[in-house]
Amino acid sequence: MEMVAFYPGCAAKGASKELYESTVAVSEELGIPLVELPQFSCCGAGVLEEVKDILDIVVNARNLALAEREGFKTIVTVCSTCLLVLKRTKYHLDNDDDLKEKVNNLLEKEGLEYKGEVDVKHFHWFLLDEFGEDELRRSVKKPLKSLKVYPYYGCHTVRPYEILGYEPSENPQSLEKLIRAVGAQPVSGERRLECCGFHAFWPNPKGSMILTGLNLKDAKLCGADCIVTPCPLCHMNLDANQGRALKEVGESFSIPVLHVPQLLGLALGIEPKRLGLHRNIVPVNC
Amino acid sequence: MERREVTFRIKRFNPKKDVRPYYQEYKLTVTKGMTILEALQFIKDEIDPTLAFRAFCRSAICGSCAIKVNGFPKLACKTQVFTELDKFKTSLLTLEPLDNMEVIRDLIVDWDGAFEKMKELKPYLIPDPKVVPDTLDEETRVYPEELKKYDKFTDCILCTSCYSVCTATQIDEGYGGPFQLARLYRFAVDKRDGLKEERAKIGYVYDMWNCVRCEKCADVCPKHVGPVDAIMRLRGISIDIGLKDNPGARHVLAFYKSLMESGLLNEVLLPLRAKGIKGVLENLPVGVKMILKGKAHSPIMKPISEHESLVKLMKAAMEVE
Repeated sequence: MEMVAFYPGCAAKGASKELYESTVAVSEELGIPLVELPQFSCCGAGVLEEVKDILDIVVNARNLALAEREGFKTIVTVCSTCLLVLKRTKYHLDNDDDLKEKVNNLLEKEGLEYKGEVDVKHFHWFLLDEFGEDELRRSVKKPLKSLKVYPYYGCHTVRPYEILGYEPSENPQSLEKLIRAVGAQPVSGERRLECCGFHAFWPNPKGSMILTGLNLKDAKLCGADCIVTPCPLCHMNLDANQGRALKEVGESFSIPVLHVPQLLGLALGIEPKRLGLHRNIVPVNC
Repeated sequence: MERREVTFRIKRFNPKKDVRPYYQEYKLTVTKGMTILEALQFIKDEIDPTLAFRAFCRSAICGSCAIKVNGFPKLACKTQVFTELDKFKTSLLTLEPLDNMEVIRDLIVDWDGAFEKMKELKPYLIPDPKVVPDTLDEETRVYPEELKKYDKFTDCILCTSCYSVCTATQIDEGYGGPFQLARLYRFAVDKRDGLKEERAKIGYVYDMWNCVRCEKCADVCPKHVGPVDAIMRLRGISIDIGLKDNPGARHVLAFYKSLMESGLLNEVLLPLRAKGIKGVLENLPVGVKMILKGKAHSPIMKPISEHESLVKLMKAAMEVE
């Protein structure tokens, strides 16, 4: 398999360390050659745009150009917001020649050029594209039979479709496919595409917790045993802030929240410790 | 011509008569190319004259026929039945009124609240006497580069699709709303406007920092306006004019500082930088749990490789006109 540039994002390097650990473990198991570039910077989570439009574009054009300089065709990330920010930068540069020229003039001084040859994918898209549902199913050593999983997409792997373009934002199925591939059963939740409020956490913590609480409540209502999400930021709200969020909606239960590679890793028979499952705030019994 | 048997499951509600909303099913044969609006008109003409919906131009420009199709807002006149059937792999389409607004009857919602909010935000040109001449003898020239700043935000047709899905609107009554704030931004960057960047203060008062960036407004807009982009820029203007001492702006500046220091986000210092001691105290219980689980990095971060080059680029970007 061709080497891919691994863009973990800041959350996976810090507050969601278990996401980094499980991504590396699953990739080793499946033979995915991930190469993390030490020059990659934070994508700015979209907020650099609020300092200045072009700053956001330049910082992320640099990330894309670094991968191109090293000859990579694909950047794989495990963070939904990093995905959207990198894809949005690519979208603007690929559709606006004036902007591309302006940005490349700046990059040139640092020995870089954005050509537009590198693509950006989320890890779970990459898994489905490279292996497909059937091959993944064949790699499963411990099918997670009878496990009911709530596929919580959140926002930045599905919207806006115009920029992400992977699957219809109104009816995405990638998580359901993965859940089925590991032998588990996806439950159909009304709030699987709703927001967790993470990006308004600082100005409006109460609102953010209400949204997360409603999402958790929906998962419980669907009879889910656990939630799986492709986004470490959603994960932080659903897992680390679970108690606070449920309090806001007048509930007090607990439901484990897994990152995509943690769920897949368990089915591949990887040791829970290598998947960082001991770091999840809501205990995962496996 | 391809034909299909389609069931339309329509949410009905007449507040004068009905205790609660209910769904009614209509079966009809739909030919390829037929729009949702044509199907609704057929039902009204041939099956049930009591069905109420709004429509006018039939050309996706008046914005009156927006309804929910299988849960997502669409202009009924612009949306073909077959496209939706194929997307959801079904022969049944559920049609409902838009969310976040009261239902007047069946598929018709009350826009007044949304438009009242828009009016409060003053989304009209307040001419700058230094730029706009007193008489019509002269023109005010707007050059293409100037127009580019707000061109796409003038395409809004007030269909309220974005408002109907807006997450911030659901949780904050004081929130200005997506299309409303986009209109506000449109005048904040219009050189003919007298208030210009001062308009960001209106955005601030109308809770623009409470936008959750769910991107729903960008995704559902039938005119590709993308209100969220305008809201982000309006926030940027508010920082430029000095509205910096609030959690939203401080959060933004914390990211900028982190990137300049190491190239990576300093998550550990984020609560302090975004919200001061209050931020630390509010998040202490969760923070302690995370530290115990080994989920915190050192507050002093090692810079990324070639960090100097990133800093140079960031400085250069800040200089760009």
